[in-house]
Amino acid sequence: MEHMEALREILGKNVIFDTVEKTPYLSDASAFTGKEPIAVAVPETVDEIKRLLAFCDSNRIFVVPRGGGTSLTGASIPLENFIVLSMAKFNRILNISPADRYVVAEPGLRLDELNEKLSEINFFYPPDPASSMAATVGGSISTNAGGLRASMYGTTKEWVLGLEVVLPDGCVITTGGKVLKRSAGYDLTALFIGAEGTLGVITKAFLKIWPKPEATGRILAYYDSIEKVGLAIRNIKASGITPLIAEFLDRITMDSLSKAKGMSFPATASYMLILDVASTELSISGDLEKTARMLRDLQPLELSITRDPDEMARIYEARKGAYSSLLKVRTSSNQRVIIGDVVVPASELPSALKEIAGKAEELGIMVALFGHISDGNIHANIFAEPGNTESMSREEEFQRYLGKVALEHGGSVSAEHGIGIEKKELLLDQERFTSSEEAIEIMRKIKHAIDPNGIMNRGKIFD
Amino acid sequence: MIESLLEELENEVGNCINCGFCETVCPTLDPSGFSLWKGARGRVIMGRTLLEDTKNGIPIPALSDSFYSCLDCHACLYVCPAGVNAGKVSQLSREIITTSSDRKNENPYARMIVEVTAKYGNPLGVKKQSAAWSEGLEFDKNAEYLLYTGNMFQLMPYTKNLNSARKSMGKALSNFMASRVAKHPSLIKMLSRMRDREMEQKNFGTLRNIVKLLRISGIRFSYLGEEEPYPGTFIYDLGYIEKFAKYANYVYSVLKGSGAGKIITVDPHTYDLLKNTFPRFVANFNLEIFYYLDLIKIPTIEKGPEKVVYHEPCHFVLRDPKYSKPFQVLSTTADTVLARRNGNRSRCCGGPDELTFPELSEKASQIRYDELKSTGADIIVTACPICNVNLSKENTTMEIADYLASRVRS
Repeated sequence: MEHMEALREILGKNVIFDTVEKTPYLSDASAFTGKEPIAVAVPETVDEIKRLLAFCDSNRIFVVPRGGGTSLTGASIPLENFIVLSMAKFNRILNISPADRYVVAEPGLRLDELNEKLSEINFFYPPDPASSMAATVGGSISTNAGGLRASMYGTTKEWVLGLEVVLPDGCVITTGGKVLKRSAGYDLTALFIGAEGTLGVITKAFLKIWPKPEATGRILAYYDSIEKVGLAIRNIKASGITPLIAEFLDRITMDSLSKAKGMSFPATASYMLILDVASTELSISGDLEKTARMLRDLQPLELSITRDPDEMARIYEARKGAYSSLLKVRTSSNQRVIIGDVVVPASELPSALKEIAGKAEELGIMVALFGHISDGNIHANIFAEPGNTESMSREEEFQRYLGKVALEHGGSVSAEHGIGIEKKELLLDQERFTSSEEAIEIMRKIKHAIDPNGIMNRGKIFD
Repeated sequence: MIESLLEELENEVGNCINCGFCETVCPTLDPSGFSLWKGARGRVIMGRTLLEDTKNGIPIPALSDSFYSCLDCHACLYVCPAGVNAGKVSQLSREIITTSSDRKNENPYARMIVEVTAKYGNPLGVKKQSAAWSEGLEFDKNAEYLLYTGNMFQLMPYTKNLNSARKSMGKALSNFMASRVAKHPSLIKMLSRMRDREMEQKNFGTLRNIVKLLRISGIRFSYLGEEEPYPGTFIYDLGYIEKFAKYANYVYSVLKGSGAGKIITVDPHTYDLLKNTFPRFVANFNLEIFYYLDLIKIPTIEKGPEKVVYHEPCHFVLRDPKYSKPFQVLSTTADTVLARRNGNRSRCCGGPDELTFPELSEKASQIRYDELKSTGADIIVTACPICNVNLSKENTTMEIADYLASRVRS
């Protein structure tokens, strides 16, 4: 095989060529399937990555960095003439400084492992995508992941202080670092956040950390309409309370959790709201009651409050696994779930959801809705049959419609999953809608300046 | 048969959305050098390949290492939001591979073990030597209980040395040797000299301690000695399901023939197999199955000064049944802690791969050993002969029977 000798010289035993062994790297958590890569590299050192990228740059071989393989837009799968660069062995925490509020971590470290370690000193790293059990530091930076706690803490971009990156020609740069303040030219750290591995390979991350909330409590409320949920959240936020998390789930999602986890929900409930309040030990009870009062004003079918850690963990895990549970309610064995991800201003969410549900009905497709209601992030999960042209064409029409709704309400076609392969057209729609076609051209120019041979994750974000 | 296996496999892999949660707890992913096909999500993906290729009549590629390397610990099940069990996918896939006429995907060691067991009633052909531990002991005749060792403690000294021999031979030669033995099972007799005698004496001591604990507790039991058959664990685990069905019925008839209605097992693999698997293969299964600690009542046990960390065997904590008796007993006799990963997040010792993937097994055991040692405990206590061997990196790992026996006031 071409390049085998050279790759072995660079990577030693840390490279896979066998076709069967490479099979799992053709998939991530999206419905896309990639092409067989030339090889899968699983390097152990930055030097190996430098030499690998320089080799690929010289030989016009494309490279897709892979973290936890949890991309929902096909960002981490290989296409034609690719090498997969798995960062699995870069999984250490290098330094924790609670006094200076930062941690230095390697990109292959899984987010839950990072937080398990930080919780020993009562700190945490807030970005919390639902996939945090499998998602990695590098992958979540590369998609600017959001998640449940974005309601209070924002998305990943708020928490990255600096990065070490290997560029396509093999050079290593460090952007930002251990300090919160920095005003030194262009913010190159920001450039690599959400870049989906199209500009370089992150080999180290300086992340901001924060003390864990002293006390938290959870309210579960069930409603017969999404308008009521939306109104309740608007009232709560307007009163000055910022929920730690505020998640909504529709009936299909509740049914899938019943099947997968044996959970039970009120039979007549159309929507479930999971709302967490963070406070002090002294004030938590009062804050929970105050929030619950505002929720009760909208006549929930049921409402309960819990501070029991086991019960809270059980609900949290179920919500985080909602996407993964959906296949339990598929109506045919050929169905896959394709997750949509758009965002609108939070107060627009009920009307946007109504339009989305109406379109699903019009197209005759099954769609499960859940998301982060406090920040207006909607996940519309489409049950589609990848081998069926008609089904996929309806899925595509629905995705375009989702994007249109988001834009018309003043939002974005992608909230937290990135663009990958899936949303390249939608990104163009967005730039056209905002009369910013030039923005894509600027992105292309930046890409060309850093990666003139276009080897980094080619075919993702834009062509 | 293959149709029903394929249907079951389809049901399992069909619920998987590829989220990857399972591979974060899979004990073989890290030791494999993070090669995904030897992790839980990779196995589900390979299961899909096997399913599609078999259904479409396409020759199955050489994918069986993905399934044979699975430790069957079922840790993946507990983190899967959809309840998909990559361990079950591996088991079903092995069953499909061994049922199919295409033999190239069979693991040569798996084949060897099955053929030798069929011929000698023991996976390494050492049935006779398996009763040597009981020399000088008297057992009751026609008792209510039958002590059934399942040969696990007795086999470990052989597998240890067999693996040393495999390492020195290299993969190709050792696979060739395994294939030869599979064809001519009597060649296995060469093995009977290749045992770790120090470990043998230690394990014989453990079995004698189990007898001691049972007797102190007032339990009377018989023992089949050289007639005791191996329970068939490997045959089942390696996917030879038709052969297992036949073999399980043979074992059942031997146990039943002893006249005892209550069987005392001494390791978690045999306990789980007899209690949960045999009834699916043996019509009108009618034996009561115990793990020996169920029957232990020792009034004169002395609490030890050491800090002990208990390593939970997968068959007691991750697979059915949820069995916490060893931890309960241990907690009353020592300051006992669990590793960071415990309960349904517990981590396998790597033992079940010892014969088929010795290097992976060694790395998996080192990871678990380091986790256990990081608790600061003086002693690691296990309740499984496989765990015990795999975690015996220094002289601080003990089988629970040995620990308890050392605390009994005479």
